Amino acid sequence: MHRLAPLAKLLLTMLYILVTVSFNKYDITGLFVMVLFPVVGYQFSFIPIRTCFYKLRIVMPLVCAVGLFNPFFDKNILFYVGNIGFSGGVISMVTLMMKGIFCLMASFLLVATTRIEEICRALRQLHFPKMLTSLLLLTYRYISVLLDEVSVMTVAYHLRAPGQKGIHVSAWGSFLGQLILRSMDRAENLYDSMLLRGFHGEFTYAEGRNSSRHGAIVFICCAILIMLVRLYNLPAILTSLFI
Amino acid sequence: MLDFNNVTYSYPGGEPALNGISFHISDGEQIGLIGANGAGKSTLMKAALGLIGVQGTITACGLQMNKQNLSQIRKHLGYVLQNSDNQMFMPTVIEDMIFGPVNYGMSREEAEKVADKTLAQLGMEHLRDRHNHRMSGGEKRMAAIATILAMEPKLMLMDEPSAALDPRNRRILIDMLNQLPVTKIIASHDLDMILETCDRVILINDGQIVADGDTLTVLSNKTLLENNNLELPFCLAGIPMKKRPKMQ
Ligand SMILES: Nc1ncnc2c1ncn2[C@@H]1O[C@H](COP(=O)(O)OP(=O)(O)OP(=O)(O)O)[C@@H](O)[C@H]1O
Ligand SMILES: [Mg+2]
Repeated sequence: MHRLAPLAKLLLTMLYILVTVSFNKYDITGLFVMVLFPVVGYQFSFIPIRTCFYKLRIVMPLVCAVGLFNPFFDKNILFYVGNIGFSGGVISMVTLMMKGIFCLMASFLLVATTRIEEICRALRQLHFPKMLTSLLLLTYRYISVLLDEVSVMTVAYHLRAPGQKGIHVSAWGSFLGQLILRSMDRAENLYDSMLLRGFHGEFTYAEGRNSSRHGAIVFICCAILIMLVRLYNLPAILTSLFI
Repeated sequence: MLDFNNVTYSYPGGEPALNGISFHISDGEQIGLIGANGAGKSTLMKAALGLIGVQGTITACGLQMNKQNLSQIRKHLGYVLQNSDNQMFMPTVIEDMIFGPVNYGMSREEAEKVADKTLAQLGMEHLRDRHNHRMSGGEKRMAAIATILAMEPKLMLMDEPSAALDPRNRRILIDMLNQLPVTKIIASHDLDMILETCDRVILINDGQIVADGDTLTVLSNKTLLENNNLELPFCLAGIPMKKRPKMQ
């Protein structure tokens, strides 16, 4: 995974997300196969899946919450397992959660194995507008600026308020205000120094690793596999083969 | 090279930070810009770079400072910010160094060659691939200076270049500045460095030019300096020591 060209990785991830999202909301078995791609991807990039879930522990529940109300709207019983009937709502809730989680896993895999510049460069190769890629890059940059300011200010606060847990409510207002002002100042300064060095709305990205033959084969195989899984319900075919 | 004609500027809702500044700098001159805290040194530099809109006229590299000429002018100027954290925005030092040259149309390989040469000159090859936010204050400073040098500017504006540098790096910087033939304006409180690197000094106070002349003449004028909240450079004053009780 780490050796695959960024453009190939980006395309695969986009394809994967598109395909995953396009599954019918009751097609739980077909969708289930899609989990294989990220899982195999994590294996090949030597990233434990645990890391993904740990890093995304705040976003995951939000994504899962999206389908939470489906069971209340869609009460058609689709099938029974023993005595328990499963309504369409429950099924669609589960598929929605699965879609969300799979997409997050795939995106995380992309981000974990590719630097942000490489992603932006690949986006540019796909003729995404430079406004968008620069925005992406700068957002990423400025987040660290903001976090820097936060950490500097919290340290400064705690040095003069020893033994206090967190920041006292009375200081929140000035703390936030200062934070915004400082970040704006720094952002402005940074932008100035970009202008001074000839920035004109477009980053030039480092020559990335370009696709090797090997990478191209991997790319094509993965793409075909993803499409196959979408077009044929593999679990159904397999069961019909053996039963 | 650089002309200020009656330049005045005030920050929004403040006293004038620059007040009727006029001077002329010719090609190849090495200017030291000195003055107490808040005298207006950094503001003057920002004006020279066209970062703030001022009253009065500024001419740089034969072009009048206005919107149309701005990018033309900036191509030839290099600016080392007082705070190097605000200067570096690419992830690694080398990326930052080639950012400017590539934007001005140099190819990447060429830019990397220039950058590597600059790094070697400064003796800081080991910082080449370091992350910008994972360096010490002085390392950041050296890296910031390197990014500007890699642009090969015609006029360099440096705001406190020697602050935060250890003595060895300060020495490297001074030697390098002396070898570099381009026109420079160096704002600093390090008067000894000014003495070593500049042939002319502009002293400002409260946004006005108080003195403008030969480095040694201005920097050895004790009353002038003390009236403007400065002191003689150490090497001219003799090195002061903390007074200690005599050892028995
Ligand atoms: N962003 C700002 N907004 C408002 N006033 C400012 C701002 N920056 C500087 N000033 C004021 O402008 C005046 C000149 O500031 P400037 O930064 O040019 O001083 P300086 O000579 O660079 O000082 P130092 O040696 O401390 O760097 C000061 O009185 C300062 O208070
Ligand atoms: Mg200053």
